[in-house]
Amino acid sequence: MTTILKYFRLWIKLTMNSFLSVLSSRFSAGLFLLGKSLRFVFFGVFLWALFTKVTRIAEYSFLQAMFFYLTFTFIDTVTQLFFREVYRFRQLVVTGDFDLVLVKPTNPLFRALAGGADPLDVLMLIPYVGMLLYLMMQFRDITILHVVTYVLLVGNGLVIAAAFHILVLAFAIMTTEVDHAVMIYRDLTSMGRVPVDIYRDPLRSIITFILPVGIMMTFPAKGFLGMLSPWLILLSLLFGAVFFIICLRLWRFALTQYASASS
Amino acid sequence: MRLAIQIIKNTWAEYMMYRLSFVLWRVRSVMQLIVMYYLWWAIFSETQMLFGYTQSMMLTYILLSAFVRPLIMGTRTQEIGGMINDGSLSNYLIRPLHIFRFFFFRDIGDKSLNIVFAFGEIIVLFLLLRPPIFIQTNGEILLFTVLSLLIGMIIFFYFSLLLSSLGYWSSDVWAPRFLSFVFAEFFTGMLFPLDILPAPLFFASRLLPFTYFIYFPLKVYLGHVQGMQLLQGVAMGLFWMLCMKTMTDRLWQRGLRVYAAEGR
Repeated sequence: MTTILKYFRLWIKLTMNSFLSVLSSRFSAGLFLLGKSLRFVFFGVFLWALFTKVTRIAEYSFLQAMFFYLTFTFIDTVTQLFFREVYRFRQLVVTGDFDLVLVKPTNPLFRALAGGADPLDVLMLIPYVGMLLYLMMQFRDITILHVVTYVLLVGNGLVIAAAFHILVLAFAIMTTEVDHAVMIYRDLTSMGRVPVDIYRDPLRSIITFILPVGIMMTFPAKGFLGMLSPWLILLSLLFGAVFFIICLRLWRFALTQYASASS
Repeated sequence: MRLAIQIIKNTWAEYMMYRLSFVLWRVRSVMQLIVMYYLWWAIFSETQMLFGYTQSMMLTYILLSAFVRPLIMGTRTQEIGGMINDGSLSNYLIRPLHIFRFFFFRDIGDKSLNIVFAFGEIIVLFLLLRPPIFIQTNGEILLFTVLSLLIGMIIFFYFSLLLSSLGYWSSDVWAPRFLSFVFAEFFTGMLFPLDILPAPLFFASRLLPFTYFIYFPLKVYLGHVQGMQLLQGVAMGLFWMLCMKTMTDRLWQRGLRVYAAEGR
């Protein structure tokens, strides 16, 4: 309990620093905020434009497609909010400054993974959550069980996202290459902006069970809409846990390969 | 000419030094293409004709946009903003080659390498997916396609220089570029043809220079823009090219007046 409290206090401190850093340039922060909002709106407009001509895409209505898109946006934004530090990790490795993290009496993974939240994503979350709640209320025959399943699977999606970021960090130590690796993760997960069922096999199976984008982004919304069997729900939770453990082990292995280059 | 070839060679060598980074960049491009390709494939599985496009025309548009994108938008000019901020621009200002020319050749190196890889990727994807694609055989249309691609390339070159020039007045050069990228992602037509948008939004998109990066050249290739429409489009593209060049030159000259080589 004391350890959790210690890391929570540390996270608050790092987050405050991150907020001050971002807000020191309000103009820049404003442009980023505008860009993020527009990116969300533009894809929504694209979906809307599509549904002006077709009533369904792969059996999904416009309302359902928007719900899938919002669920993706929510998971993606929360992930970026907590794991923004991953985008800055390469600099620590190539300059050897990661040494300074390693000698501190804290878990290096904590510092590399969650060393300060992004305030812009906090602001972005407010309208996303509002829209998600509004959309949820538009669906009929939704029970508390559906809501619990949704929350559970969103949590599972976040665990998988954390695991992906740990994998990227491990990759960064082993190859000093992280910029594109983290962007590949972004591109990969962007496949989940629409339900993964629209893709054809073998891509559909690959991004559902091998690269678990489907479990991360599509399963929560499908769970909410009652489109998942209890077995699939259990399987996806198990998958999330196993994937997380494997990535954590890879991180531990990667730490043994750290060469402290340029330090 | 020798100098140009050397700059191009150096750009290739730089990429080959960071091979994994380049490979990962190409992986990203393929993934972006696959997402849009399958999305449109799914949409067309239930209908023959949508927004005036047949399935083969839409899939051709999506595949070609992946090829045209690095040709038009592959650039290294974003480095200039950082160079202004850390003062390393001074090294380039004293050289007997204008920095714009230097980066123009550097861009040719960037584009050529990306195109070679994009071409290979599209062939592999074509063999794997066997999509029904549309092949344009009209020589005149192909000539206009090349012309509109050249116009798009030059507009983008100056547009990117314009963004980098903001570095003279602000150290935040990444934020305006990010915003411009968000606009470009939507209004260039890299993800979908712009004429599927609602009429007011499509009209607004035609007033922006982004239209001439990807959408216009591909519409010319598909044979959807012909006669007066084609000439009007080319004229508008040339107008934007001139505007962008004038604005960039003026901003750059003003910037040089305030440049203090900070960081050196």
